[in-house]
Order: sequence, then C-alpha cells, then structure tokens
Amino acid sequence: MATPVLWACFVVLAAGVVAYAQRHSQQDTHVLYERLGSDVTLPCGTAAWDTAVTWRVNGTDLEAAHLNGSQLVLEGLDLSHSGHYACYQGSSWHLRYQALLHVGMPPREPVLTCRSNSYPKGFYCSWHLPAPTFIPNTFNVTVLHGSRLLGCEKDPAPKNRCHIRYTHLFSTVKYKVTLTVTNALGHNSTAITFDEFTIVKPDPPENVVARPVPSSPRRLEVTWQTPSSWPDPESFPLKFFLRYRPLILDQWQHVELSDGTTHTITDAYAGKEYIIQVAAKDNEIGTWSDWSVAAHATPWTEEPRYLTTEAQAPETTTTTTTSFVPPPTTKICDPGEVGDGVGSPTGLLLTVTVTVTVTVTTIAATGLFI
Amino acid sequence: MDLRAGDSWGMLACLCTVLWHLPAVPALNRTGDPGPGPSIQKTYDLTRYLEHQLRSLAGTYLNYLGPPFNEPDFNPPRLSAEALPSATVDFNVWRSLNDHLRLAQNYQAYSHLLCYLRGLDRHAATAELRRSLAHFCTSLQGLLGSIAGVMAALGYPLPPQGAEPSWAPRPPHSDFLQKMDDFWLLKELQTWLWRSAKDFNRLKKKMQPSAAAVTLRLEAAASDL
Repeated sequence: MATPVLWACFVVLAAGVVAYAQRHSQQDTHVLYERLGSDVTLPCGTAAWDTAVTWRVNGTDLEAAHLNGSQLVLEGLDLSHSGHYACYQGSSWHLRYQALLHVGMPPREPVLTCRSNSYPKGFYCSWHLPAPTFIPNTFNVTVLHGSRLLGCEKDPAPKNRCHIRYTHLFSTVKYKVTLTVTNALGHNSTAITFDEFTIVKPDPPENVVARPVPSSPRRLEVTWQTPSSWPDPESFPLKFFLRYRPLILDQWQHVELSDGTTHTITDAYAGKEYIIQVAAKDNEIGTWSDWSVAAHATPWTEEPRYLTTEAQAPETTTTTTTSFVPPPTTKICDPGEVGDGVGSPTGLLLTVTVTVTVTVTTIAATGLFI
Repeated sequence: MDLRAGDSWGMLACLCTVLWHLPAVPALNRTGDPGPGPSIQKTYDLTRYLEHQLRSLAGTYLNYLGPPFNEPDFNPPRLSAEALPSATVDFNVWRSLNDHLRLAQNYQAYSHLLCYLRGLDRHAATAELRRSLAHFCTSLQGLLGSIAGVMAALGYPLPPQGAEPSWAPRPPHSDFLQKMDDFWLLKELQTWLWRSAKDFNRLKKKMQPSAAAVTLRLEAAASDL
C-alpha cells in the first residue's frame, strides 16, 4: 500500500536532482584561456540570443555596447581582460553562465642550458622562457644518452632546473636534452646535444681572502677554497686563475696557478688598495668558472716614527695615505687649547703632523705622562 | 720543462734529507730514487700534448670525410665499433682501479688504437693528411713507450701484445660505413686521451708524497735534533 507513495517520492526526488544538476551545470565556472590580441565571444549559457541579460566582470556591470544579443563580445584581448565574467538573465538575476578568463600567450621557444659544476657526479639543466606567457606552463625534460633514456630529477626550487647523474664516465656518446613547454594555448620545445666534457664549468672559488704580508710593502697573500659543489678535488683537481688590480687602475694582472689554493702577489703598488678575484677550471676539461666574489686588501706599510707623541692626538687608524694634508686646526695659534699642560710649542707642531699620519699609539703617549 | 726537472731534483733532495733524519718513514720504500713520479708526469704531459695534436688532426680528417662527419651536432648511434677499446667506465669502478690495472688498461687501449690508426693512414687521401697522421702515430708510439716505462718502474709486467685486433682491415664494405668507423676511432682516441689525463693525475698524486707532508717531516726532524 505504501509502494505508490514511495514511487511518487522517488519521482519527485529524481526530478529535484535533475533540476538541481541542470541549474548547477549552468553555474559551473568555466575556465577559458585566450590568446592576447584575439577576439572572443562568451555565450550566456543556454539563454536564447534575444534574451535580456546583464553581464558582469569581477562584480562590475558591463555596458551594453559589448553585447551581441545575449553574447558578450570582447575584441583585441589584453591582459586587463583577464577576470571573472558572469551573465545574469532577467530581473530575477538568474545566473546563467560564469567563466574565468585568462589572457595569455602560447610559449615561445625556451632557452635551455646544461652545465656540470659537480663533475663527475652529474650535471644540471636549467631553462627559461624568452617572453612571459601570463598563464601557467608545464615543463617536461627528457635526457637521451645514446639510446638510453635518463631521468632528470626536478629541483623543488628553483622550479626551472633539474639534475641528472652520470652513470658512466668518459663516454664517447653525446647527451641530448629535450625540453618541452606546454600551456593551454600551445607548446614549444628545444633540444641541445653535447659531450660529457664540454659542459664542465665549476662554481667560482669560495672564501677568497687577501691579506697584507707584514714587513713586505709590495706583497699580498691571497687564499681561497675550492668550490664546495666540486665533489672530488683529489681525483679531479682544479686549476686557478687569479686576477688583481689596484682600485685606481683599470688594467688587470693575471696569474694562472696549476695547483694550490694560495698565492702571494709580489708586485703590488705600495699603499694602494687592491681588488682580487679568482676563477677555477678543471685541469683538463671544460671551461673557466665565473669570477669569485672580490677580495680587497692593501699591502702593509711601515708606520712613520715620531720623536714624541701627543696624548691629545686623535686615534686615526687609517692604514695609509700617500699624500699628507694637514687638517685645518685652530690649535696652532692657540697654545691655551692644548690640554694637560704639555703645551710646548714643539709639542703643538708635532700635534699637527701627528694627526695626519698613521696609527697613533695613544697608549704609549699616556705611558709617557704617568 | 726546466722547472719540472728542478722540481724532481728538489723532491730528490727532500727525500734524501728525510731519509737521513727519519729512518722509519713508511711511505718511502725507494731509497734516494725519485721513483716513477717524474715519468708519470712526463706521461701526463704527453697525453696533453697528444690531445692538443689530435684536435687539429681530427678537424682536418673530419673535413676530409665531409658532412655529416664534420658537423658539430653529429650524434650517430654506435653500431659496429664495439671492437674499439672503450674508455667508458662506471665511476666507482674507475675510482677503485688498482695502479697496475689502470696502467694496463691505458697501455692496451693505445696499442689497439695505434694499430687502427695506422690502418687509417693507408687509405687517407692527401699527402698533408698522411703526414699529420704519421706524426700523430709517432707521438702515440711515444706515449705507449712512456706508459711501458712507468709500468716497468713500478715492477708491473706489460700486457700481452700478441692478440691482433679483430677489427683489422675489413672486407670492402660501404664507403659510408668505413667513414663511420674512422669517425668513431677518432672519437674514442679523444676520449681516451681525456681519461688518461685523469688516470695519470691520480697516479701522480699517489706516487708523490705532497711537498707539504715532506716539509712537516723535515721540521719534525729538525726539532728532534
């Protein structure tokens, strides 16, 4: 007896579900990708062409001028057209259609480079697009070694880099790396082929430090470390290239060093500040690294000797000046200004010269007066 | 070159001094003998020289073979060149090679490669090219001799020379395939020379105690007196 009632319930429920689904399918947000500069026509869902509708972009009403019946026409798309589009029918504001529009470009041919800074462990390939696409892109890298397909492990960050491990060394077969970039508007790819040896380029040497050499006014001692990314400097030694110049000159001097991580410059101009950089290269293969972070140093200079020192002399610790310019001071003409009673004329004269020269040992000065 | 001779004499002097003051030096079992160090250095230098020579020789020869062999991107699959001694090796295997094996592999490789190269010489076209090939073969012969010298100094027997390479003068086959064989021969030579440089570098490091280590021992000896 309850069965017809039950059936009726089912029918009603089914109809409700269908109506609900229909309504929601019209309201599902469509995602559209369109090319920059192109034209696009957005329909108002299933509404008839002559239906009265209102379009909204990101919540703002659009003028009727863009309409072709109930359809929205957008011409000459530019990046500002990207956004949320919604179409409402009639006075009841029945939402008939909504879409997220993304304006972008298909990808241009990407730029791919591969380099081994960790020979013989492996190499990495990095890439970038020459022009932005404004929409999400996916990259796919394949590495072919002869007929073998190798996996390229993607870096978590930066995203446009992946690593390959060398399984065999001293291979005569070239590596071919192919990069494909795809987005909603198209795809593009590029490939490079190379020998194992040609892409070897270490990172620059680390911790470059230059120090003056005591009692040697024309020497600077430079030390550095092999880059930490180079896994085996014992079996795969690096050679180094050092360049240096005084800051005031443009011409670099170069020294190539086949081993060791120190070098003493012996022809530095006395008293001049130097800038020093080092680069590294595998002894036999590949190319030179970029220049390291620069080190600065000035060679040792002898402290001028004084007959007496003035307690009041300022503690200037500038290491060198090659031209001496007496600072303006009123003390020359005013003996009363000189403190703690050692204001002899000779003392005053010395005060003038002392303020201008090298490290003043005030400790020694106070020692004299105790 | 003079500098290197000076270095080995300096090394000899250091070694003699150390031996005078420290009789129980474990690493030095060659009394007063500079050891194979200088000849390993010479072998290393020879591989570098040969690599340089090969670069110009290969350029000329590949141009003679013509396209696609002289194109930089030319990347053919290896078909029939399995008989060529391959320098390719697993990294861990290479690393753990003992000195004898390391030297023997180099020696055997170059013996075979020299033989094939001489075969190349026979059908090379221009006189200029034949001259370059002959010069290279002579240098390669020198390298073989140098490696043999090192092996002798270390007391290792030379690998058996009897076996004729099975890849000897082929029955006349396609001109293109012949050129492919030539291409792979040059490629393998180049790779072997790169590998040898690394091999001899490794041997160099093992044979010669570092100057720093020797100086430390001298200082220790001096302070003991």
